[in-house]
Amino acid sequence: MAHPTTLLLAAPIALPLLGAAIYAAAGWRRGTAFTGAGCAAGLLAAGIALAVRTSQPGAAALTAGPLRADALSAYMLVAIGAVALLATAATPSYLRAELAAGRASPRTCCRHGVLVQAFLAAMALAVLAANLGVLWVAVEATTVITAFLVGQRRTRTALEAAWKYVVICSAGIALAFLGTVLLNFAAAHTPARPGLDWAALAAGATQLDPDVTRIAVALLVVGFGTKAGLAPLHAWLPDAHSQAPAPVSALMSGVLLTVAFYAVLRVKAIADPAVGAGFTRALLAGIALISLAVAASLLLAQRDYKRMLAYSSIEHMGLLALGAAAGSRLAITAVLLHILGHGLTKAALFLCSGRIQQSTGTSLVAGVRGLAADQPVLATAFGLGIAALTGFPPFSLFASELGIARAGFSSGLGWVTAAALLLVLVIAAAMAGHTGRMLLGAAPDRGPAGQPAGAGTGTAHRRLPAGTAVPLMAGLVACAALGIAAHPVHQLLLNAADTLIGAP
Amino acid sequence: MSGWTPAGVLGAGLQVAMVVAGAPLLLGAMRQVRARLEGRAGAGIGQPWRDLRKLTRKEPIRPRGTTEVFRAAPVLLVATTLVVAAVGPFLTTSSPLDRVADLFAVVALLTLGTVALALAGLDTGTAFGGMGASREMTIAALVEPTLLVAIFALSVRVGSTNLGAIVTSTLHDPGRVISPVSLLAAVALLVAITAETGRLPVDNPATHLELTMVHEAMVLEYAGPDLALVELASAMRLAVFLGLLANLFVPWGIATGAGVAALLPAMVAFAGKVTLLGVALAAGEVFLAKLRLFRVPELLAGSFVLALLAVAASFFLA
Amino acid sequence: MSDTAYVQLLDLACGAFLLAAVLVLWRRELAVIVRVFALQGLALAAIVAVIAGHDRSAELGALACGILALRAGLLPWLLRRALAGAGPAKETRPLVNVAASLLGAAVLTMIAYAVSGPLVTLAPSPATHAVPVGLTVVLIGFFVLVTRRRALSQVVGFLLVDNGITATAFLTTAGVPLLVELGVSLDVLFAVLVLQLLATRIRDTFGDTDLDELQELHD
Repeated sequence: MAHPTTLLLAAPIALPLLGAAIYAAAGWRRGTAFTGAGCAAGLLAAGIALAVRTSQPGAAALTAGPLRADALSAYMLVAIGAVALLATAATPSYLRAELAAGRASPRTCCRHGVLVQAFLAAMALAVLAANLGVLWVAVEATTVITAFLVGQRRTRTALEAAWKYVVICSAGIALAFLGTVLLNFAAAHTPARPGLDWAALAAGATQLDPDVTRIAVALLVVGFGTKAGLAPLHAWLPDAHSQAPAPVSALMSGVLLTVAFYAVLRVKAIADPAVGAGFTRALLAGIALISLAVAASLLLAQRDYKRMLAYSSIEHMGLLALGAAAGSRLAITAVLLHILGHGLTKAALFLCSGRIQQSTGTSLVAGVRGLAADQPVLATAFGLGIAALTGFPPFSLFASELGIARAGFSSGLGWVTAAALLLVLVIAAAMAGHTGRMLLGAAPDRGPAGQPAGAGTGTAHRRLPAGTAVPLMAGLVACAALGIAAHPVHQLLLNAADTLIGAP
Repeated sequence: MSGWTPAGVLGAGLQVAMVVAGAPLLLGAMRQVRARLEGRAGAGIGQPWRDLRKLTRKEPIRPRGTTEVFRAAPVLLVATTLVVAAVGPFLTTSSPLDRVADLFAVVALLTLGTVALALAGLDTGTAFGGMGASREMTIAALVEPTLLVAIFALSVRVGSTNLGAIVTSTLHDPGRVISPVSLLAAVALLVAITAETGRLPVDNPATHLELTMVHEAMVLEYAGPDLALVELASAMRLAVFLGLLANLFVPWGIATGAGVAALLPAMVAFAGKVTLLGVALAAGEVFLAKLRLFRVPELLAGSFVLALLAVAASFFLA
Repeated sequence: MSDTAYVQLLDLACGAFLLAAVLVLWRRELAVIVRVFALQGLALAAIVAVIAGHDRSAELGALACGILALRAGLLPWLLRRALAGAGPAKETRPLVNVAASLLGAAVLTMIAYAVSGPLVTLAPSPATHAVPVGLTVVLIGFFVLVTRRRALSQVVGFLLVDNGITATAFLTTAGVPLLVELGVSLDVLFAVLVLQLLATRIRDTFGDTDLDELQELHD
């Protein structure tokens, strides 16, 4: 069964590359605009197929050369595919508005298309890599590719954000590379000599030298944590995610952060048998609390709604780290569910915020007034998204946050979880306050051509185009459906959790 | 090794004689090389001796208001340098005073001389004396640690801070000379010695502008025999430092055993090495400009870090 | 290659490697810093070549040539091209002055030596004994990255970190798998290209590459 397996494993990487080639050859025009969405749909389909294949008994992992897929990789591919589908489906209407406003040229749109597809291919390679080194190369490649996407608008703030992004992320990822080198060194002195293959490393982890592995794991967690937006090297996140164009922010916040966190989870699976579970538990719990504290303190007086969403991403990554610190089966399952739910919701929210910025011309909270009265569909989507982020049912984030909290209390992280819940409460209050100020109130005056008077120079029309509305609503509905009935992914979640902590 | 062997006693005595007699000649040679490279005729190698003779014949004169410190400093300076000249591993490593040739003792003696001169500069109560003293102590504060650490780096592998032991072990294991430890320590020592003896780029020994002076400013008030002692002492310090630099890194030619016959080639080797180093130093000075005073700590901090790296390398590079 | 010659050559190459990193901290002029970085690339290639000669591995020898071409040839050339467009090529006052930076480098050497204790005890050999050198260069690279204000100096700091990690990789296990090494080199190359392009755009937009000007995004 070699050939179909190889095709299935290569498809998630090959399809986006094909899309990039099409964009590079044909440019951005009406015919090719939805090619990206098509490739993302293909990626999602391949992920679902892999999930089905790996849930069959006896085929726990599929291998083809440097690629390997087990249940966790398949789940991550599904998450990447779903968020990518949302973002790429909304891109044509976003770029149409940018072209109409003169902020982008057809060449910029073409480059946007190529880079986004390459970005998707790199993320797929990262979750399908069988080798820690290839995983590292793929994660660094995403930094390089998205650097130009972040700085696309060529304004002073965009350039500053792009510079900080590349420098801080590359420095953090360099730490992860040092950790990889040291892990390779420790692995070379065991009888099995597993090299950098993470499955073999996890299998032979008990023979690794504890002291060297401790240093390597600390470096790997901090290094990949930088790319995942965890403290202490998180300073690039608010700038990069607020200055990038909306579909790119949706992808980066929705799925790139969690791909980096996936790397942390794989490292944890190797670290726990080697140095004992207490080390990563303490490390991740500390990082989680610091990230939540940073997000809470900087959300209270936040003036920019895109930065607000970015800090909320830091908060949710902190929650993921807390769940990983707890480490029980319930915790890991909740973490994985949270990855998907947060990805869908955050993508929808960033697409909303992109539309809000285009129609009001400003990204300040104070510059947006009475959105519910002015653009009801958009305001509904934004409000529902914020409600989902703060953990309201029926959205799936409610179930996953509840799961993480329960697992935290029952794994001996009681005080840490209590502090984390307090900070989450503060964050929820802050975000609700800011959103209320934006949505409620009387509609602002509008000029004769439908342009808003007063602050900002918005150019987009009041009516939300179908190209944006459909992906928005689809994302929110999917998140709600996931929260009500997790049945379709239930078995996949359990399988994926088992690959990390071993079947009970 | 220690003990009053005839070769050891003769060696120690010859060392002192060579340093006292040869130091002004070394200074004269350096000035002559510099003059020739700058296109001048130069005053000849024997000029420093002629100057010393002229100064000793003058009337001793002391400024009003100075105390014993002013009177004692030149004597102390010459005395400490003589002791170092006697004990250091210049001609022989089996001197009877070998136990005094410890790294910390030698550097402490040389520092004592520096401090004595700085105090004498302060004692005169003039503005230039104080300025020279403060500048000298700023430089010394950075140079003394560098000297200690650099030579300590060499002593780590030997297991002893005795200078004679370091020289002997280098003789037995010539490959050590091109290791990173030796190279880093050599560069650090070279910079430190340049600063300690008041040569360019830290201090210009031929300057007559008081505001650029460091060493000369401290001795402005000295005249007659006192000045002769101070000049002789600074020439001897230069010879001693260059001799240490030469023999710590390139010790071949030194007499190690109890044989008197080995002393003659040792004298020739010592004179040759020190002259070569001095001439190279003088030739290099022609191409350097004096550093501004606030840039000097940068240079000295760099040499200190190189010395520290030499120590670190001696611990973990095999 | 005899064992003593191997140890001596390896130590000399590691010493030159470390010295280049200290010189980057010591000197202020950007042109000199780029030249010193090229020398460090040469020293790194020498380390790999010495290990290749001792292990008699043709693959390592080819890697040494590749490292020479990339880190002593291509990357310094890119940096010099970026420098050519810049105006006055000196470093504006760094956040920490030169004397304090050098003393900081001494402290970082001690820290690297302390941290790498377990690494040396796992597999004592002449090559592993030199691992603290690699870690020191990584720490010095981070120090340069954090305390320098000009864009090009930050790029040099990042490249120092990468050089240090590569040296650590080769000194511990004679490298990582070839595929990974190729990928890493490509990533570094692209990162430098991206940074150079961004620096050019920053200069066009802000007028100078002094990163103090980038102060508009903050909370």
